[in-house]
Amino acid sequence: MKEAHLAYTPEELMAIIISREVRNLETVGVGAASPIPAAGCLLAEQLHAPQATIIILGSKEYHPFLGGSSELHFLAQRGELDLFFLSGLQIDSLGNINLHVLGDYQAPKMRLPGAYGSAMLYYMARRVILFRTEHTRRTFVEKVDFVTAPGITSARVYRPGGPTKVVTPKAILGWDRTNKKWYLESLHPGITVADVLENTGFPLEIPSSLTITLSPTDKELQTLRTTVRAKLEKIYPEFAQQKILA
Amino acid sequence: MYSMVQAGSLGLPFIAVRGLLDSDLLKFRPDLKVEINPFNPEEEVVIAQPIRPEVAVFHALQADPWGNALTFGPRDDLMLARAARRVIVTAEEIIPQELTPRDAYPNTFLPALDVDAVVLCPGGAHPGSCGTLYGVDKDHLQEYLVSAATEESFHDYLKKYIWSTNSEEEYFRKVGWLAPGQKEKL
Repeated sequence: MKEAHLAYTPEELMAIIISREVRNLETVGVGAASPIPAAGCLLAEQLHAPQATIIILGSKEYHPFLGGSSELHFLAQRGELDLFFLSGLQIDSLGNINLHVLGDYQAPKMRLPGAYGSAMLYYMARRVILFRTEHTRRTFVEKVDFVTAPGITSARVYRPGGPTKVVTPKAILGWDRTNKKWYLESLHPGITVADVLENTGFPLEIPSSLTITLSPTDKELQTLRTTVRAKLEKIYPEFAQQKILA
Repeated sequence: MYSMVQAGSLGLPFIAVRGLLDSDLLKFRPDLKVEINPFNPEEEVVIAQPIRPEVAVFHALQADPWGNALTFGPRDDLMLARAARRVIVTAEEIIPQELTPRDAYPNTFLPALDVDAVVLCPGGAHPGSCGTLYGVDKDHLQEYLVSAATEESFHDYLKKYIWSTNSEEEYFRKVGWLAPGQKEKL
């Protein structure tokens, strides 16, 4: 009985962690190819943020606009987006993200489709939560190969928003805005500090008293696997069926 | 990018955009420049060149003979059409009655004013999807992706599906469609 409750996929855990970050009444955006944040926002709406305005690109129900994706883009540029989610092929010690190339920009080993407006959203969304399903030294690097959007900008740049944390299957890394570095905010159940350090390609500050991520509650898991899964199936059918357990 | 297309649609010489500063994009993009905000000398902003494509092509659910068209879902097509110098609409269907903006919801309306040509082209979004009419042809896309890897294999792809195909009917037969949007039952 107890063991069954502990069994969850890494994607479910990440979606539940993200749901806890969504606050009631705020405006939250989910970009393209982001099923985990989409699941998190839908879960938050069911549990504690019923009046949040949730925008999910690619959905019908969560698209309160007459126009296309540019509506979310310009809403953020106006400073009206409270929370947004970004990922990175690489994420580095200074909070820089890379969504462009691996290797040299002019002769890349791998080229991605592009930045999807992240070079504006990373500045203008009040809080940006990064998410990455792969927590290894090839994703968490000392210095990214290409800065698609920087973690830190000079004082001459208008930047009301920026990174706040990274959610991975191993831990939550928090961004210390004052000291411009990452710290171990919370360790997921069953993961050791050594495991996180081994798989992070930059020094990580370890607080003296360690926080362990609260395991998914029965209510969170149950809601995620029923109501949220059904809603998510309309937007990300394959993800909902494969990663959220029925 | 959206801002640059929007600037194009508005006929502006340039547009200021938020963000981008201190990113590597500025090292490689001649169409993005850093300037001082003329209204706030303390602040640096990025100035971007407008994007004005020579031609934009939209695939519509319906069009009328005047060039009014409906495209699937809520989209940024109007902005894109206005940014482009010429606009071609390919349509699943051309109807004799005049379409108006009121016919659009929940789809997007493209006014004849912004459209230069309409082409009847049922099944024209293949291998992409067209609203609820037909979905993405995953098998064909996979074949395309594999053949796009080298010049030779891509040449073979073009030969198979384009150069040696003499009619729409023949194309649909080759990709396994009985009729536009209608997949052959396996």
